[in-house]
Amino acid sequence: MHSKTVNKRIGTTIRYALILIFAIPMVLPVLWMLSTALKDNTAVFAMPPQWIPKKFHWENFVTGLSRINFWHAFLNTLFIAVLCMIGAIISNLSVGYALSRFKFKGRKLWFYLIIGSMMIPGMTTVMPMFKFWTAVHAYGTWLPMIIPAFLAAPFNTFLVRQYMSTIPKSYDEAAKIDGASSVQILATVIAPLCKPLIAYMAIATFQGVWNDYMNPLLYVISKKDKWTLALAVARLSSGTYGNEWNLFMAADIVYFLPVLILFFVFQDYFMEGLGSMSATGVK
Amino acid sequence: MAKNKKSKSGTSSGRPFWKSENFRGYMFMIPTLIGFPLFTLYPLISSLYCSFCDWDGVNAPVWKGLKNYTFILTQDPIFPKSLKVTLEYALINVPMTLILGLAVAVLLNKRLPGIKIFRTIYYLPTIIPAVAAILLWKFMFKSDTGMINGVLQQIGLQPVGWLTSERVVLIALSIIKWWAVGGTMMIFLAGLQSVPDELYEAAKLDGAGRWSLFRHITIPMITPILFLQLITGLIGNLQAFNEASIMTEGGPNYGSYFVNYDIYMTAFNQGSKFGRACAEAWILFIIIAILTVIVFRSSETYVYYENE
Repeated sequence: MHSKTVNKRIGTTIRYALILIFAIPMVLPVLWMLSTALKDNTAVFAMPPQWIPKKFHWENFVTGLSRINFWHAFLNTLFIAVLCMIGAIISNLSVGYALSRFKFKGRKLWFYLIIGSMMIPGMTTVMPMFKFWTAVHAYGTWLPMIIPAFLAAPFNTFLVRQYMSTIPKSYDEAAKIDGASSVQILATVIAPLCKPLIAYMAIATFQGVWNDYMNPLLYVISKKDKWTLALAVARLSSGTYGNEWNLFMAADIVYFLPVLILFFVFQDYFMEGLGSMSATGVK
Repeated sequence: MAKNKKSKSGTSSGRPFWKSENFRGYMFMIPTLIGFPLFTLYPLISSLYCSFCDWDGVNAPVWKGLKNYTFILTQDPIFPKSLKVTLEYALINVPMTLILGLAVAVLLNKRLPGIKIFRTIYYLPTIIPAVAAILLWKFMFKSDTGMINGVLQQIGLQPVGWLTSERVVLIALSIIKWWAVGGTMMIFLAGLQSVPDELYEAAKLDGAGRWSLFRHITIPMITPILFLQLITGLIGNLQAFNEASIMTEGGPNYGSYFVNYDIYMTAFNQGSKFGRACAEAWILFIIIAILTVIVFRSSETYVYYENE
């Protein structure tokens, strides 16, 4: 009995040690990023690497951001992200509701079409879509990024449909007896029950827009005042901005900060959404 | 209008058509009814048709039969190589991500004080947007002045040409993926926790050791998740784009010229060869489809579903 508890303690210690060792490469790049962002330009390339800056150059965050017209791109991205969040929530709740509550003809077919379209590699559809958006004079605008969000992206539709299928039909029936219309039932009964999913969808959509590099690259690269943050940050290392990595890293940090904050604020919803992909949450 | 009146008075149920299950269902389907034909069906058919055409993206496509396909597969100096590096990349990355993700999940699957903080730390790199992460790693991978080579030299090792050597570049890009293994880890973690404790208890009574518990209970119970991760990992890795576009521009010597990047360059950067780009995209599509079918078929032999 005694040796068993000793064994257990050794096991726990080894586990902690391993967890700590593997945690180092996880955090080190981010710390290096922060350290670089606070150095002056000569210290950035010092060999051996200088882990802690001799002097903290907080002004890098001001210079770095102004270098890529950061706040302009920030507002652009925020605008697109908010519209896409609204679009994704409304359209996916609507389609998910249809698929989980109405026995209309062709329901199964549509469900399989939605699942099937998740399998199509994005690049296959890029060329005709590019042609389409230029034909309707939407090249150089954000419409190619915003409009699709209002027309139900397959993955989210699938999640909503699965989630709503677990909500008992008796809730609808009760509301129906009270004389509520389908729209009212969706808005006042079903949607509130989907709160965690809506939160997850909102965060994931925001993240998607914030991270999206290819669409801005395709549609607004020639219009600098329409650039999103991902595009502006990615272009930093292209050479046109010189070699000031301390400024680049400062801009890079501020670029991902909103996503990071969002994650920490909504961590529980986030984990729940992730967990729902494997049917259970992480305890 | 006439139809409305008829259905109102004529049918025995007395339900007007706009109150029918069909009509209301399709009203809520409207986003998909517009979105699917416009953003999936039309571009899919159009790109298939255009893959058999000369097309510059501006003028009308001109039918040329198999011309694009024969060029890509027999004459194009780039496409076969880009296909090769893409497959290599997936071959390095997919199994490693599964193994690392599972290993880390097993490591963190214990209720210990502070474990939630560590899970968050491991998950952190996944939250950082790809563009931000790629820029950061591009900086750290610099051959002469980068941090990684600096550390290697400090401990007496030779610097590595992470992004300048054709043989190493795919490893370098894979490291970024392994860094962000937290997403896979979280999904595995959820899977590990869904294995019922009774199974372990019963096996322990039969005298099963720790490894045998893992091998004969944990692994079979999480095969559905393993399978899901295998599929999504495969599909995702075969479509790598950002790394090539932001970090390496496909180099050195086309060593990271992924198919998706090749398609993008063919269509948008090298004289607008939209038709040829469509053909390349369809070849990639077919390869992904074939590999997916193979993985699905083989899964029947090892994936264990509890309810069957």
